[in-house]
Amino acid sequence: MIETVPLLVDAGAVFDASVLFDASVGLVDLPFRPGYIESIIGVSLSVSLTAVALSTLVGLPVALAVGFTEFPGKRLVVALINTGMGLPSVVVGLLVLFAVSNAGPLGSLDLVFTREAMVISQFVLATPVVTGVSLAAVTGVDDGLRDVAHAMGGTRLDVALATISEARSGIATAILAGLGRAISEVGSVLIVGGNIVRADGTSVTRTLTTAIQLEARQGRFEIALLLGGVLVALVLVINGVVLRLGGRRY
Amino acid sequence: MAHATAHHRRRARSTGISLSNVSHGFGRTTVLEDVSLRVDRGETLALIGPSGTGKTTLLRLVACFEPPVAGDIRFENEDPWSLSTADRLAARRRLGMVFQEPTLFDTTVRRNVSYGLRLRVGWRERLRRWVTRLVDTPSMPAVDEALETVGLTAAAGRPADSLSGGEAQRVAFARALAPNPDFLLLDEPTSDLDPRNTAVIEQAIGTASDDGLGVVIATHDMQQAERVADRVAVLLDGRLIEVGSTDAVFTDPDDRRTRRFITGELIY
Amino acid sequence: MSIQRRGFLTGVGITAVSLAGCLGSAEASDSSALGTLTVGVTTSTYDSGLLDVLHSAFESTYGVTVRAIAGGTGQTLTRGERGDVDVVMAHARSLEDAFIESGHGINRRAFADGDFVIAGPPDDPAGIADLDTASEAFARIATTESAFLSRGDNSGTHVKERAIWDDSEADPAGAWYTESGQGMGETLVQAGQRGAYLLSVRGNFIALSDRVDLDLFVEGPVTDGDPALDNPYGVIAVNPARHDVEYELAMLYVGFLTGQEGQQIIEEYTIDGQPVFYPDGLSEDPNFDQYTPSEE
Repeated sequence: MIETVPLLVDAGAVFDASVLFDASVGLVDLPFRPGYIESIIGVSLSVSLTAVALSTLVGLPVALAVGFTEFPGKRLVVALINTGMGLPSVVVGLLVLFAVSNAGPLGSLDLVFTREAMVISQFVLATPVVTGVSLAAVTGVDDGLRDVAHAMGGTRLDVALATISEARSGIATAILAGLGRAISEVGSVLIVGGNIVRADGTSVTRTLTTAIQLEARQGRFEIALLLGGVLVALVLVINGVVLRLGGRRY
Repeated sequence: MAHATAHHRRRARSTGISLSNVSHGFGRTTVLEDVSLRVDRGETLALIGPSGTGKTTLLRLVACFEPPVAGDIRFENEDPWSLSTADRLAARRRLGMVFQEPTLFDTTVRRNVSYGLRLRVGWRERLRRWVTRLVDTPSMPAVDEALETVGLTAAAGRPADSLSGGEAQRVAFARALAPNPDFLLLDEPTSDLDPRNTAVIEQAIGTASDDGLGVVIATHDMQQAERVADRVAVLLDGRLIEVGSTDAVFTDPDDRRTRRFITGELIY
Repeated sequence: MSIQRRGFLTGVGITAVSLAGCLGSAEASDSSALGTLTVGVTTSTYDSGLLDVLHSAFESTYGVTVRAIAGGTGQTLTRGERGDVDVVMAHARSLEDAFIESGHGINRRAFADGDFVIAGPPDDPAGIADLDTASEAFARIATTESAFLSRGDNSGTHVKERAIWDDSEADPAGAWYTESGQGMGETLVQAGQRGAYLLSVRGNFIALSDRVDLDLFVEGPVTDGDPALDNPYGVIAVNPARHDVEYELAMLYVGFLTGQEGQQIIEEYTIDGQPVFYPDGLSEDPNFDQYTPSEE
């Protein structure tokens, strides 16, 4: 299972799981060109995994800083983080669009309707989730533990690493929550990505979620549900891998 | 002030920890008032007194958690708060501390005990070690030695949460011991333990002392103080009312309150 | 334990490299030597499937990569205003006029006509099966207060629907008249489930007809029905003076659509064997003049 996951991510490669997939889906006659489903899975994964990775790099240090230092306005910051978890995805998409559109301040970067813009909007959506849940996880670590690290002559970095290590299961939950938020949203990636596929049917900016929306719009509900099932299965696999790596914790 | 007789010392340097007129408090509460004290390498000092009189605060000050409000604390004649942060951390690493709660890290016994040894490294070395660890389990003689001192060599691979309270505290002790500190600061280390584990810890204290470490142990157990300490300091309401050799303090204390405390008359 | 860790490390490594590959290389392989054209189209046009055929032909003839971005009519024109697309394709004359008058679009060309149809529940509660014109049908629907579902989203379809209501002099107000606020596909599905009449683009109706429970009652000019249900499409290049857009590629595209090859594709295009569009350029009286909206 562990070996299969990274292969799933590489959209261009032939992957073992497609055998499993074809077997189960072969019962339904899908009107898709070959490579279509693999390519949209690839886009979903690459955009969301990248966004969540960036969210973690930013969110974890912020959670540590907010959790363990006192500063004026701390409660406001925590409230903002929690509010950020509920940002409507369409609104975030519009804000990013305003920024990267040709008419916007970052127009010269040519980011509109690209995967990079999708990563940006999903980063905005996922970061509050990762930060907020990590904050709860790290502040739940026993103060005595930080005392131990401190007493043994640890630098602030050592104390932070010890805290992160202790809170690792909570932090893993935070990252998975952020990933769930990112990979299942459709509002922002539709607006900044444009749901584009190439002439040969491979995806440029079409994700599983925007493909589902397209199928539903065209009245092909069964196919929409099937793609939805693929998305859920994907998230399940990722969760399973993470839990498995966590070992005896669970 | 009576000096403890020297046991064999491993290091050429002498001197130790000295507190001069140290006062400390939080907000408007005074916890310690004008405390002067000295501990040398190789000697064991028991800090006794009722709960809440500042024993823990004193130990935390010695461990450089925060600077004292007044007075100064010196290690080998150096004030750690006059040093750079890096140097102060280096000074702190020469102290090992054990708290009342074992508070072990959520990993194996071995990784807990080796924690202090893994602190000194830069990020390149850290990365190299992490990669190596994926393939191999490196051996650390200091860890094995420390585990042997507390009698838990067999438990090295066990996860920390599988230990009993007594075993956990013994691991905490080994963890403090492994980086080969100059001093051990123990804050009521055996107050939650059964007699067997208490005996193991006290034996370990003796071993450490024989190896030339200085030990400061805060305790409310008079018998324990008598068993392990060379000298005793009595802290009452934040003030040091008596310091002397164990024999002297217990059999013929100078201060009337000491006598009453030892005999259990002063109930707090 | 260490084998698991090794596998994990391998997984992380491959994932990282793949992600880098996925994000980077795919974009590079998109741009051809001649560039990329971004076309803004409405969802109803996109869903008709015509563009798949047109764009494949365009790409193979000229070697230019085409990205079609679908959205509502309003959204498509806004994208043109922002310069995020190089050329827009729409079928709402009044909105297109505003787009040109405000200086965002230039060189509009008509390239195809589709038409609309009026569909409704098979039991025909308003009794419009015998009627031939749209305004008569709408009037009778209003009189009988039969359920009617509007797009309600300022799309080309919605604009046409409002024009027909004006023509019929009936008032689309009351509990029987509702708006879906969604695209053509969703609106068809909803009308089918609720048993409501609606105005639909022919192509979308045909594509969904086997999945929704609706019958065709009044047809448009593609099958010689009511000319009032005509649905002219226009393609407009985004003004290069306003934004940094691929103007030459846009005009190349316009030329293709109105040229022999494009027009033939449009004429021959069918859904389920039925014709959906008729080309403008191949009519007996083709209009090749530059279109300017008249001041009225």
